[in-house]
Amino acid sequence: MEILTEQRGPVMVISIVGSVDGMTAPTLTGSFRAQVTGGYIHIVGDFARVEYTSSAGLRALLETVKETRQQGGDLRLAGVQPEVLRVLELSGFTHILKLFPDIESAVASFSA
Amino acid sequence: MRREFERAALPASLQAIRDFVEDACRQAGVEKAAAHGLVLAVDEACANIVEHGYAGRKPGPIGISFDAEAGRIVMTITDRGRAFDPKDAPVPDLHSGWRERRVGGLGWHLVRQFVDEIHYDPDARNGNRLTLVKAIGRSEE
Repeated sequence: MEILTEQRGPVMVISIVGSVDGMTAPTLTGSFRAQVTGGYIHIVGDFARVEYTSSAGLRALLETVKETRQQGGDLRLAGVQPEVLRVLELSGFTHILKLFPDIESAVASFSA
Repeated sequence: MRREFERAALPASLQAIRDFVEDACRQAGVEKAAAHGLVLAVDEACANIVEHGYAGRKPGPIGISFDAEAGRIVMTITDRGRAFDPKDAPVPDLHSGWRERRVGGLGWHLVRQFVDEIHYDPDARNGNRLTLVKAIGRSEE
């Protein structure tokens, strides 16, 4: 798994490439947490190149949703692929997370 | 068709374990969505062994066997870590809002979504043995 970060105005876009599992999820959690600690509470998780996540990835997402929302921000997802979406749905995460088709619409949603 | 695989119970083994199951599914002609479910079920079970089964101990082996039988896939996962019966996994809360939602506890829930049967048979001599069964339509039939 590789993580790329890009600032777009007040929004931090975190693009994940590869699989999120018990091995890589702690790195993802750390990356999200570093942004929140650095004052970036409006985060877009770009999942367009994530073909797999286990429940370990769900932990990273929920933890970050809680941390950002408690400070008035949010973690929103962009470009979630079908198999990852299925895992989100089966876990009841689609009721909690805001999903967008692409990075642009996810970033724009923060200024709406 | 039967295939077997063994790796040390380490986080770094999870990718290789998923690759093994994915490849075995491909060989057995399991269609893509069902194969994804089987890969995830085995990954979750193995991640639990890595995180909890051998916690505080030297990581031992995880053994996986994959049997393609008529109309079903049978996978067994063996380890010598701490015993855990999946029946004891708490039922997760899937409906409350983000404030109330507890972080974690979704692994066994996901396993249950993707396989039809889960059997746990611990054995004092041979260690833990988890069997996952999935009824399957073969994509090449």
